[in-house]
Amino acid sequence: MAEPSAKTVGLVGLYDDPATLQRAAARVREAGYTKWDCHTPYPVHGLDRAMGLKASPVPAVALTAGFFGLLAAIVLTGGLSAIHYPIRIGGKPLFSWPAFVPIYFELFVLFAALAIMGSIIVFCRLGRWHSPLHDSGIMKEITGARFAIVLEAADERFSEQDARALLEETGCHDIRPLVQHEEKDDAII
Amino acid sequence: MIEPPAAIQDSLVPAPRPCGGLTRAAVVLVVIGAALSLIALFGEANRERFGFAYLWGFTFLWSLALGALFFVGLQHLTHAVWSVVVRRVGELFAGSIALVAILFIPILVFCLLFEHFPLYPWLDHAHVEHDHLLQGKQPYLNLPFFVVRAVVFFIAWIAFAAFFVGRSLRQDAGEGGVQSTLRMRKVSAPFMIVFGLTATFAGIDWLMSLEPHWFSTIFGVYVFSGMVVASLALITIATLWLRSAGRLGEGVLGSGHLYNLGALLFGFVCFRAYIGFSQYMLIWYGNLPEESFYMVHRLEGGWLPVTGLLALLGFVVPFLALLSRSAKVSPRRLVWVSVVLLISQLLDLYWLIMPQVHEEAPVLGWQELGPPLLLIGVLILYVSRFLGKHHAIAVGDPLLAESQGYYA
Repeated sequence: MAEPSAKTVGLVGLYDDPATLQRAAARVREAGYTKWDCHTPYPVHGLDRAMGLKASPVPAVALTAGFFGLLAAIVLTGGLSAIHYPIRIGGKPLFSWPAFVPIYFELFVLFAALAIMGSIIVFCRLGRWHSPLHDSGIMKEITGARFAIVLEAADERFSEQDARALLEETGCHDIRPLVQHEEKDDAII
Repeated sequence: MIEPPAAIQDSLVPAPRPCGGLTRAAVVLVVIGAALSLIALFGEANRERFGFAYLWGFTFLWSLALGALFFVGLQHLTHAVWSVVVRRVGELFAGSIALVAILFIPILVFCLLFEHFPLYPWLDHAHVEHDHLLQGKQPYLNLPFFVVRAVVFFIAWIAFAAFFVGRSLRQDAGEGGVQSTLRMRKVSAPFMIVFGLTATFAGIDWLMSLEPHWFSTIFGVYVFSGMVVASLALITIATLWLRSAGRLGEGVLGSGHLYNLGALLFGFVCFRAYIGFSQYMLIWYGNLPEESFYMVHRLEGGWLPVTGLLALLGFVVPFLALLSRSAKVSPRRLVWVSVVLLISQLLDLYWLIMPQVHEEAPVLGWQELGPPLLLIGVLILYVSRFLGKHHAIAVGDPLLAESQGYYA
């Protein structure tokens, strides 16, 4: 099957409906695999729990960045209007915080939003050019109508027979090895 | 525990049964409230305080009922499926709008009979005679038109409440089915337009015209945001109480539903704070005497702590308490935050109404507590009667099974 220069880096199980995929994901989690993932054409509600995914660190990053935005806004507005350009407007105090609340709010949101975008890119490990999954053509099927579980060979529990047996046990009828072609591949799954 | 999504299954919704404990608590509230109200009403010295306290309690009940009607209409408008299991609780409170209409009558009586200390300054002929501004506002602010408007508002609200609640109850009995759901979705769109207009003008009539010299173009939205927060808080409390009392059926209400209720609460808490601050900031910035006196009054003397407490209970505490995802699915957290939000709604109405009669500082004596206790007691009596007759879940809704399986 595989070319001499290629090596198997994982096993893909393809499913036809999300309910079977969720049950299979729960089974794989119970079997103790750690390096594996699910791929679906659309978000499947409850899959994160079936997979046993931990809470995302994105909210904490967003909140922290938001408070930095708030700090930046206070320094920006206060520094400009009370220190660098102290101009009295409408008889109000130089540091008139109510006027700046919209700016506090906006910069809080802006910093949080940018941090969410950046941290999602980092946490999802985006920015790689290709992966064996894409090269295999399986992704084309997944983005159409199918659902996949990918078990990585890097998982210490992985052996091709056991993994295949596990996927078959979950009712998978389409199991394919995932092959990495050495000469062009510099990426992981 | 991590559970894979439960297969959608019909769970048995318990049959309606009387709420003995709730009725007894309500009777106690009604008796105490009625006694205090009567003493205040027949003592010449306390009659004025009674009038304003009654308006306070009435607007609280009104905001809960109308907010719940908005909630029900919103679910139909958005074709929401998740909310089918909690929509009956919204219908329960929306149905109380007819009761609120009856409870409005004492306010009319007060306006008609007690002319020497009317609730609304524009009713006082002696006062209006020397006030050029109020003379100019007479074409709108006069008693006959005020009554006509109130009647129109209540007819509209009762008609829509009867439509939405009545159809849903008939679905329980197996009438209407899918056709009825589709019809309610259609009607919910014109309802929203009518709701927006009537809620705005009712807010202007009953709350803003307490200080007829003052005006705020955002006032209708302010009143709207308060009623949505209050009714969502009440729906959350009632839903969790019904669940713990075993009236919803096993496994009907999941963490997905709680999360959505929590997220709606959180969103509208932010919305209300946004609107409230927008109103304040524009008045503060413009610094025009004809607008700013309203805020100055509430930021001076004994009223400053009330304003601060309102910001704390209405925004800071609920915002921080509901921020995280786990908070929005925790029943205990949702209940206490909802209680805080109901208190903040009472405080907000107190903040709008009472400075008109207690100029220097807030006063909260038995004269103020009588009418709200009475009215809340009446609402609880209504709730226990409703729950004794009807299911706590829209058992005939064609989307119920799908809603039960909702999983966020």
